[in-house]
Amino acid sequence: MFRFEGVSYGPLKNLSFSINKKEKVMLFGPSGAGKSTLLFLFNRLHSPSEGQIYLEGQDVADYEVTALRKRVGLVLQEPNLFPGTVLDNIKYGPSIFGEWEDQDAKRLLQYVHLPSSYVNRDAEQLSGGEKQRVSLARTLANSPEILLLDEPTSALDYRTAEEIEDCLEILIEEHKLTMVMVTHNLNQARRLGDRGLFMVNGKIIEDGKISEMLTNPQTNELARFIEE
Amino acid sequence: MEPEISNQSLLFLTVFVFIPLSLSYFYQLGLSRNILWSSIRGTLQLFAIGYLLTYLFDLQAGIGIPLMISIMIMVAAFHARLKGRELPNVFWYILAGLVVIEVSVLSMWLLFDMVEFTPSEVIPMSGMVIGNSMIAMGLALERMKNEFKENNGRLLAALSLGAKPNSASKLIVQKTLNAALIPNVDQLKTIGLVQLPGMMTGLILGGVEPVMAIKYQLVISLSIFSSVSLSAMFITLSMYRYFFNEQAQLLETEEEIRNQT
Repeated sequence: MFRFEGVSYGPLKNLSFSINKKEKVMLFGPSGAGKSTLLFLFNRLHSPSEGQIYLEGQDVADYEVTALRKRVGLVLQEPNLFPGTVLDNIKYGPSIFGEWEDQDAKRLLQYVHLPSSYVNRDAEQLSGGEKQRVSLARTLANSPEILLLDEPTSALDYRTAEEIEDCLEILIEEHKLTMVMVTHNLNQARRLGDRGLFMVNGKIIEDGKISEMLTNPQTNELARFIEE
Repeated sequence: MEPEISNQSLLFLTVFVFIPLSLSYFYQLGLSRNILWSSIRGTLQLFAIGYLLTYLFDLQAGIGIPLMISIMIMVAAFHARLKGRELPNVFWYILAGLVVIEVSVLSMWLLFDMVEFTPSEVIPMSGMVIGNSMIAMGLALERMKNEFKENNGRLLAALSLGAKPNSASKLIVQKTLNAALIPNVDQLKTIGLVQLPGMMTGLILGGVEPVMAIKYQLVISLSIFSSVSLSAMFITLSMYRYFFNEQAQLLETEEEIRNQT
């Protein structure tokens, strides 16, 4: 589905790898490895300084950028909700493309395990976990095929993070989404992912089945990272 | 009666400088040099402009007015650009904005006989319009830069949902304009109640009837209000797009903004 060929940008150095449809890829590694930077290349929030990125065989630079971003949804570490109600947030994306229908709100809130009565709540007044759920619903409202997640639970407490993970697990399965997720949490990686990309200093130094990577690391760096 | 302030009386004004100077010294604010320098500079500037105005007022209106207004606009544009110097072409945008605003306001004044086309009327009033527009543009640029920094996550969220730069920045533009216009709205609301505006005070001190002074003050206050609104709006709407590149990507560092093609 996605193919990176010799991609460099910022800390990233000459990355080449592919991601297949419906794969659940976990990007992990020490801070400063370039994980979030890599994530932002998928939906062209950044463009590579060298190399090419292909989506279904076509250079992402050739896609109309807003249409590409609709297909490749992103959930950030902080919810970054817009001022206004939950509904204002959820319909933001579809309204851009003239695709919003009011009955969608209930369905989207159900996806993220929030009651439909939340529709008219002030987004600023929600708890951290609720905000992150709304942020997820806002991204899902665009019906993306690929979901990018940049440490979506890192600012949440353990219990809330686990609830978001439950949501994600069901959503990815039900919607048959391809997922690329940055995480520091190895349990989360094991639970949600089926493939891991371990990054250090802008390079992918291990790529494989996540469960095997975490039980049988092939590099000293990964072994050290797991121990820490 | 024409008011006269003697040079000796003027010398007493140093007391007003001495007060903040002593405060700065006593509380070790480190502002003494700045206070002293600004007071001397301000005094010299005012005297210099006084002599220049005397000279300009004697010139033909068709020469004196365009000459002085051009100088004022150039100086204002140079000064306001400092608040957004990393933004490409910011000087030219400010310059164009100030020219259009000044020409429009002046045309209105002359068209409706509010002001006579004489240097002694047009230059001081234009100075107020240009000066306030300069401050509004500088404030808007500064505020906009801060809003872009503070709302980085929201902007990325909006772009990633498919928003184009103009819709992604809607919130920033709103906040910037709000911040730039609210002081003016407040000032207009309390005009005459909290403080008597400078021009009106000057005219009354100069012996003009209060009602006539108020008429002049209304002309200038409303002209300033509309030019400040237009300036803030013009510079914000012209410059926000320089925070994005043509691929609808957010430029996050000053270097990226400065080096964009």
